[in-house]
Amino acid sequence: MFRQTPIRTGAGIALIAGLAIHASRGGYFDREIVIEIAILAMLAISLDIVAGFGRMISLCHGAIFGLAAYGYGTAIVKFGLPPSTGLVIGIALAIAFGALVGAICAGTVGIFYIMATLAFGQIAYVLIFESRWLGGDDGMTGVRRMDLSLIGLNMRDSLTFALVCLAVLVLVYIAAAVVLRSSFGRTLSGIHANEARMRAVGINTRMHKTAAFAFSAALAGIAGVLKAQHTMFVSPELLFWTLSGEVLIIVILGGIGTLIGPAIGATLLVLLKHEVSHYTVYWHVVVGAVLILAVLAGGRGLFGEFEYRLARWRARRRARRGTGGAADA
Amino acid sequence: MRDTSAPPPILEVRGLDKSFGGIHVTRRVSLALAPGERRVILGPNGAGKTTLFNLLVGELRPGAGEIVFLGQPITRLSVPARARLGIARSYQKNNLFEELTIRENLALAAAASLGDTRSFFRDCFRNPELRAIVDEVAEQVFLTEILDTEVRNASYGNRRQLEVGIALAARPKLLLMDEPTSGVGPGMIEGFNRMMQALPRSLSMVIIEHDMDLAFDVADRITVMNQGEVVFEGAPAETRDNATVREIYLGDWQGHA
Repeated sequence: MFRQTPIRTGAGIALIAGLAIHASRGGYFDREIVIEIAILAMLAISLDIVAGFGRMISLCHGAIFGLAAYGYGTAIVKFGLPPSTGLVIGIALAIAFGALVGAICAGTVGIFYIMATLAFGQIAYVLIFESRWLGGDDGMTGVRRMDLSLIGLNMRDSLTFALVCLAVLVLVYIAAAVVLRSSFGRTLSGIHANEARMRAVGINTRMHKTAAFAFSAALAGIAGVLKAQHTMFVSPELLFWTLSGEVLIIVILGGIGTLIGPAIGATLLVLLKHEVSHYTVYWHVVVGAVLILAVLAGGRGLFGEFEYRLARWRARRRARRGTGGAADA
Repeated sequence: MRDTSAPPPILEVRGLDKSFGGIHVTRRVSLALAPGERRVILGPNGAGKTTLFNLLVGELRPGAGEIVFLGQPITRLSVPARARLGIARSYQKNNLFEELTIRENLALAAAASLGDTRSFFRDCFRNPELRAIVDEVAEQVFLTEILDTEVRNASYGNRRQLEVGIALAARPKLLLMDEPTSGVGPGMIEGFNRMMQALPRSLSMVIIEHDMDLAFDVADRITVMNQGEVVFEGAPAETRDNATVREIYLGDWQGHA
């Protein structure tokens, strides 16, 4: 059951503030990193909604992300539509794909769910890779950013774009938190805890899981549309399953089912990648080692482990006080 | 002439049949439950009692036969669709929301019964109607004091109480309880007895129970099953005296005691 605790709010504010300061004080390269983190964090939060609160481990969130990016890019490059229409098309495409995959996979669980979503993601990847009209493996250039000059924002400026990405990340987090605390989210958490019992009390769990997957896809779609605007270029790699895998690693590293943990995980992974790649091209080895450690340490992830230890420490302190200091630790 | 004063049964089962491969687990079972009736099902292990429950709630599909609930055929309905019509069950093996609190366990079932599960903004846990159900059910199953305990930290006995509590929080018209006292001590069986006696008379119940004293205390009527068949049905007093029942069930039970 999702709880927006003061610790989580604090961690979120500290993270966003830190990234905003890093972007405004740093140079172009630092801003690129902040943008990369913000977009990956949105994608990780969207995956945590289904993986951490609905027991749906998806390996097609990269494909959803990429489809939204292509939806945005295609609308602008191929149809000459304004970017605002591209935004709607990109997100709508993500929702449609998410609802379709979610509905078909809703009856499966565990490893079968992972495999089914992986297969659907790869189908989307291959279709785009093979499409000459969409540029095949060359991708598509000429994707413009949205024009927000009406509200005084110059999106071509790297600092402005980085801050817009951070603002959208905050909105994505709030949307996820509100939905997870709603009637819909409570019921989803019930399905996560015991799907069979939820059916026995009258919940159509397949429909509920499908709706949750579509909502998650909408947030992944927002990240995809921002990605297309960031690089001003889309290519089939965005849909490739390794991105889905990387996001899943981020969610597990940060703390699955904590919502803010995956955002922290995205930050650490991107920073780690950039730091380690100064020294070696084999940065994946380092990330792999960290992942193995995280899983062996109990699978709670960095933020999850932190919350777990904090809760244990508080419980022990309460017990000591309650029994006049005589309690066994 | 038909007796027009007797209300139609809330649940009617006709010729229900189920086989797993070559094993015939349910054989032409028929029974009718009057509104508000408390029916206890007795029978040795493997008699097909839990299978009958699985057929009634839709977790299994029968090979033949029909189930009618409140005058409506439900044989082809899904588990959640039957639950929404007002059938709830508790399980012989605890089937709870382990990582959640007892309050949350009851609230999830209550939200389902209120249909408050779809809003993306409103929080059903703040719904006063839901809170009223949770408080009422907590009192019925004696869990008021420990509502905020996580299930995984609760005692086995408390989990058995919650098992029934979740079914009650779904606000059923028909409650199926599969061995509610399974694995609990004599002191707690007495508690379960009081709990069942205090439930509203309007709630129809079918209870699978192995504790004889509790069964004869609670039951309006008793159905005895053996090898997938209904072998006897009658009032508790008749059951005690029935020769077939003594032979196939009570004899076996006394042998174990």
